Amino acid sequence: LIATVVDWDALLQVIWVSLVAGVGVTAAWGFALLGSARAIEVGRERRVAEAAIYAVVGVAGLVAVVAAIVFGIVILTGD
Amino acid sequence: MGSEIIVVIVVATALIFDFTNGFHDTANVVATSISTRAMPPKLAVGYASILNFVGAFISLEVAATVAKDVVEIQANSIGLLAVFGGLVGAIAWNLITWYFGLPSSSSHALIGGMVGAVFVAEGADSIFFEEGVIGKVMVPALVAPTLAFIVGGLAILVLYRIVGRMRPGPVTSGFRFGQVISGGLLALAHGTNDAQKTMGVITLALVANGTIAADDFHVPDWVVVSAATAIALGTYVGGWRIIKTMGSRIHKMDAAQGFAAQGAGSTVILAASHVGFPLSTTHTISGAVIGSGAAKRLSAVRWGVAGNIVVAWVLTLPAAAVIGGATYLVTRLFGTGAAGPIVVSTLIVIGTVLLFVRRSHQGAAPGVVPAAEGAP
Repeated sequence: LIATVVDWDALLQVIWVSLVAGVGVTAAWGFALLGSARAIEVGRERRVAEAAIYAVVGVAGLVAVVAAIVFGIVILTGD
Repeated sequence: MGSEIIVVIVVATALIFDFTNGFHDTANVVATSISTRAMPPKLAVGYASILNFVGAFISLEVAATVAKDVVEIQANSIGLLAVFGGLVGAIAWNLITWYFGLPSSSSHALIGGMVGAVFVAEGADSIFFEEGVIGKVMVPALVAPTLAFIVGGLAILVLYRIVGRMRPGPVTSGFRFGQVISGGLLALAHGTNDAQKTMGVITLALVANGTIAADDFHVPDWVVVSAATAIALGTYVGGWRIIKTMGSRIHKMDAAQGFAAQGAGSTVILAASHVGFPLSTTHTISGAVIGSGAAKRLSAVRWGVAGNIVVAWVLTLPAAAVIGGATYLVTRLFGTGAAGPIVVSTLIVIGTVLLFVRRSHQGAAPGVVPAAEGAP
């Protein structure tokens, strides 16, 4: 019964979107924190190249979070 | 004229339900932020209520599901009284679980109340039991908390992997700030999914009254604005007693866990809202909270409390259905006019006031949030 009455396309969409967005956004925020904190730490030790790489990681994480949120809201309001 | 009075009562009752929904579910939205001290309680509640309001305008898919896919209402006074009975069943169950401090599900209470009242009023043929109740309510109701549990668990494992070697200070500060974002998304998701259920029910009443043709489904703008306002006000007034259960009694959370739980909960609810599943925000965020705790350490979760919550979840649909059906029968004792809804509404108001007075004498007050005091 359940196999025939459930909208599996919709349910699978909920599952994969939640997995990708839920884990992806939290991971991106983790990278934003890691990058920014490490950039400051190694910057104090005048390791400029390393600090720049961490800064890029931090900014990329932050951009990914903001982009994912904006994209999600655009998709939702587009109905 | 009689049916117009019933419509006014049904709309007012639906908005009161929406208010109690926000009131009841405040804990789901803000407890995580409060327990990790990401935000002070009053600010968290105010912030959540604003984003609840905004969230109600994002989508109408869930409203369409509630209005068209769960029950079929006839365009007559019987249909209107059935909607009224369903709403009262949901409100009564919300008040009972609020009084006893149980995190139930306003959403399932609403669906249960509607199904029970329509079943008694118009028979089993008026319930879309397979595609509607099972396919769009019960299966997603099981999948959502499980999915949130998995996403919350995976997210915290990934986060610990990324930030595990960092000094605790910046990590905690960073995740507390992150919780302002994830908590906001959760409030937005709550407003999106839950306010739409009320919009769906009001639209159902308008169809029963003949105001909207059944083959021309649309949610009027005034319905969207009023539902958004009611849930936001309910959230602001808040359910302080339940905050205690959600925030600290499941397990003590750190800021990273709070962030992961809120992120998991909001993505599941928003994704489900997009496809029109009327989920329970309570179930979903509870699943995410437990998942984020269990992934760190199974023993950190107070499984007894989690078990009590599950029992309340299981009871919600049938209990609200029974109350909804019984309310319809009581209402019909007074005929098909406005007398029944007027009498039942008066009784509900008196009962609600008595419960609030009794509850206030027992000392549940804003600011009493042990989770915030005891969090690391």
